[in-house]
Amino acid sequence: MEKILTDRMRINIGPQHPSTHGVMRMIVDLDGETVENVETVIGYLHRGMEKMAETSTYIQYLPIVDRIDYLSGFFCSYAYVNGIELLMDIEISEKSKYIRTITMELNRMASHLLWLGCFMMDLGASSPFFYTFIEREKILDIFENLTGNRMMYNYYTFGGVKRDIDKENLYAIKKFSDEFVFALKDLEELINYNPIFISRTKNLGILEKECAYAYSITGVNLRASGIKKDLRKDKPYLIYENIEFNVPISENKDVQARYILRIKELKESNKIVQQCIDWLLTNLNNKNIITDVKPLTLKPEGIAISEVESSRGLMQCIIYADGTLNPYRIKWRTPSFYNVQIINEISKGYLLSDLIAIFGSLDIIMPEVDR
Amino acid sequence: MINSFFNPVKELFRGLYITAKNSLKDNVTLLYPEKKKNMNKFFRGKIQYIKENCIKCKLCQRVCPSKNTIQIDKYYSINYAQCIFCGNCVEYCPRQALILTPNYELASENKNDLIFKEELI
Repeated sequence: MEKILTDRMRINIGPQHPSTHGVMRMIVDLDGETVENVETVIGYLHRGMEKMAETSTYIQYLPIVDRIDYLSGFFCSYAYVNGIELLMDIEISEKSKYIRTITMELNRMASHLLWLGCFMMDLGASSPFFYTFIEREKILDIFENLTGNRMMYNYYTFGGVKRDIDKENLYAIKKFSDEFVFALKDLEELINYNPIFISRTKNLGILEKECAYAYSITGVNLRASGIKKDLRKDKPYLIYENIEFNVPISENKDVQARYILRIKELKESNKIVQQCIDWLLTNLNNKNIITDVKPLTLKPEGIAISEVESSRGLMQCIIYADGTLNPYRIKWRTPSFYNVQIINEISKGYLLSDLIAIFGSLDIIMPEVDR
Repeated sequence: MINSFFNPVKELFRGLYITAKNSLKDNVTLLYPEKKKNMNKFFRGKIQYIKENCIKCKLCQRVCPSKNTIQIDKYYSINYAQCIFCGNCVEYCPRQALILTPNYELASENKNDLIFKEELI
């Protein structure tokens, strides 16, 4: 067959486009409908989070940290709070460790559920969006009862957590986690075997191992390329040593692999939540949730690097404190910033509509990229 | 050939079955202006000032992340348009002069409605 002559074209996607999950601009060079080059333009959501730290005291900066990644605020909060605890040599109690773990895992589930809904929406399926939101709503209700807010928690504090989990809340989490297994089964049944879903995601957006390493990709996107790296296993923090869970990996490297891994991670997170619940229910009388520190007059000194495996990958908070009331410099290493750069590499040669599927599969959140 | 025809049909019915199953469940949404959600006691809504308890220590100002939300001179004023409802001021107030209320309906047409002012002294 004769090759059809096509015209080269440069088009803009975004900054305000529903499938860019925030405000990001992609300048796409097309040959007909085939993607030749993607240039990503970021910075539309820059709020100066790092600069803000330099003019705030440590306690003033604490609520702002949740806004770095608003879908999984607990991870940012933990990274910052843990950094200060490392500088001040504060040991936190066993119970607060369990509470931090359970909230973070629930947060991971909420984040993945939202991703799943939005990803399916990008592919053109609207019903999974509603089903995932039903489950996510339950998690947010738990957080609302526990912390007082649905997304901006401000729950962790230096030396522990601000409030104890009461019995009602624990039973609510237990009920949710028992029912979640069936809800996830329904979702999987709806999506996994769907021929449209399979044909739109299989062998698409292949991310090679070398490329993933070169771009410092972390989290599920890295594990989908067949590299087993998870901070919770490699360098256990909190109580992850005492807990049984697997780190799912896949060798398929494509969009579908990333979807499957996130579903598997939801199940693993649910397992961790159940184990934490069992411990917390047997230790209801333990009220030791906070180590006494004076947060108003904190004057740490030194450099601390605090790491956490967030729902999107490795998140680091590097604190340079100079012994005054304000930090000298705070640097955030956010996983989405690295993940967003990979788009050009993995979307070359695919169709324009596939670009949206590839972009959606990376689970990028713009406030985290721009900070 | 037969498989490629029957498989999508099978999946179509599977999808319809799950949708039908979900349609039998209870409602998960509220008809908002008519029915309102009951917030729990910890919910961080509008902050209320209690003049009798206040000792003007200005600690609330010092812990506020958005810096000039609270201003204390002749008046004690809270600007709800700038407040991020983190609850820091309530937490660190030594005399419980600030309390959290579950009121979250703060939308207003006029910006000045969002500034709370109370004369001191």
